[in-house]
Amino acid sequence: MSVELIWALITGAALFGVGIYGALSQTNLVMIMMGVELILAGALINLVAFWRYLHPDVAAGQMFVLIVMTVMALEMAVGFGVAIARFRSKGSVEMEEAAELRE
Amino acid sequence: MTTLLVVLLLAIGVYCVAVLEAWIASGRFRLMAPACSAIALLGRESIVPRKPDLLFFEMGPIVLLVAALLAAAVIPLSPDLIITDLATGALFLNAALAYVLVALIMAGWGPNGAYAMIGGWRFLGQLIAYAMLVVMPITAVAMRAESLATTDIVISQSGLWNIFYQPLGFVLFFIAAMGLAFLPPFDLPTAKGELAGGVEAEYSGVRLAVFRLGRMVLVVTLAAATVTFYLGGWQGPSLPPWLWSAIKILLVTAAMLLIGRYVPRIREAHLLAWCWKFGIPLALLNIFIVGILLVVIP
Amino acid sequence: MITAQAIFIGFFGVAAVWFGVVVFRTFSMVRSAIALLFSQTALGAMFLTMQAEFLGVLQIMMMATEMSIMAFFMVMFMMDPGGMGKMEMTHQKRLSWIVGLASFVGAVAIAVFIDWGPVATTVAETAEQTEALGLELLGRSMLIFEMAGVTILTAMIAATSVAIPPMPSPEKTHKDKV
Repeated sequence: MSVELIWALITGAALFGVGIYGALSQTNLVMIMMGVELILAGALINLVAFWRYLHPDVAAGQMFVLIVMTVMALEMAVGFGVAIARFRSKGSVEMEEAAELRE
Repeated sequence: MTTLLVVLLLAIGVYCVAVLEAWIASGRFRLMAPACSAIALLGRESIVPRKPDLLFFEMGPIVLLVAALLAAAVIPLSPDLIITDLATGALFLNAALAYVLVALIMAGWGPNGAYAMIGGWRFLGQLIAYAMLVVMPITAVAMRAESLATTDIVISQSGLWNIFYQPLGFVLFFIAAMGLAFLPPFDLPTAKGELAGGVEAEYSGVRLAVFRLGRMVLVVTLAAATVTFYLGGWQGPSLPPWLWSAIKILLVTAAMLLIGRYVPRIREAHLLAWCWKFGIPLALLNIFIVGILLVVIP
Repeated sequence: MITAQAIFIGFFGVAAVWFGVVVFRTFSMVRSAIALLFSQTALGAMFLTMQAEFLGVLQIMMMATEMSIMAFFMVMFMMDPGGMGKMEMTHQKRLSWIVGLASFVGAVAIAVFIDWGPVATTVAETAEQTEALGLELLGRSMLIFEMAGVTILTAMIAATSVAIPPMPSPEKTHKDKV
């Protein structure tokens, strides 16, 4: 057992929890994306901690981090594309006003 | 010890550049001009606008200065005159320079003024485009050096400087460096004529002095980066290495400032269109050419 | 045993979580985006502390531009970007609290109670790490890497095509003219 690994994992857990709270509680699309960014950040720190303390000789661990960073960037790009389209047609990106998408 | 020496050299360099800029702008060579204007700025009242975002307003100039200093930390002035010889130095330089953008957005948003805010958001578009043109030529340089450490990059140019090996990359990097330091043809965030000073508009007194100092350090750092990546760094005959670095950095800075004197300010739309449509494809072409060159003439 | 590494990881971890909380506590949207940036930067500093230098520097570099773009879109799309009006922008608060707290507690329980086995004390030099990563990307994991590249391209095209304004159809413009 190592203190460093545990602390890093707890940080990841806390970021994950805060991200989940944000993604569920915010009403604006952009704020929800911030929550998702925090969730992915929690995943990132866990990946780096696992690479550093459990498998430092496997380069695939670092590659996994690069892929998650890519996912973060993609999530933002597509999210903003959707946000722009939504804003153009309805004039707002509030979730409460997007109930008609359910049908 | 090395850190102190580098910071001292940097301070002297910044002063020289300030003298140069005053000379180019006013046409008169006065050694005391920057000192006088600095004292004048420090003596003036530093006005805080109404309803500011005070945290950002105070932090903006400081973040600019710190980002520029951090970028300078990986620049080698001679084989052992470098603050930290990071193994990922070339990437770290980009990371530090990215915070110039954060500083300008903070400084633009903080004062709660329309001109400042437009200046800050303008710089966002400008830097996202031109950061690409900083990163991609550096990639080609790192390919030749087979390392991201700045000292290795300088040593890799002992046979032939990169400016001759990859002239396209040099031109792109030089333009991007000017865009990143918002020097005159690219000075959209602080445009004097159209935005009344832009990001600088609401700053006065001590805060403006820090902002200007940060900008000057940024210019010197970018010139030093150009020297490191393309002009052989400290290498040169007979003179000591640090002197060669100093001469080259001053020459590059003078070139950057002089170009701004003779070229009119570019429109935002033209600037971005040029970068995305020509600059980035050219940078990719540069990487491709260097890749082939490395196979043909190692 | 508390090492210097543990202290730094703890410090940057607390900073990351604190800035993460600030993201949802502040009313100013630009502050919120910049807080997220500082949270990610603290994370990058944690990577540096864990001797993953390349990843740390990359994280610090990428997030600066990414979160600045975020700040820009926040100002574009929010009704009250400056936070002067202290607008309430949340819903289902209780549910979010419960789910967030439950996931945090669950993850912490897993982290604490699982036996992670022996822990590596040393890692390779940064230069070797970066080289190994490059060989991994262009060797064994080439296909995954290429997939990521193609996905980025697809996302770029998709995002752009969603975002550009729809072209008015030719008949309609003709009708308008008449």
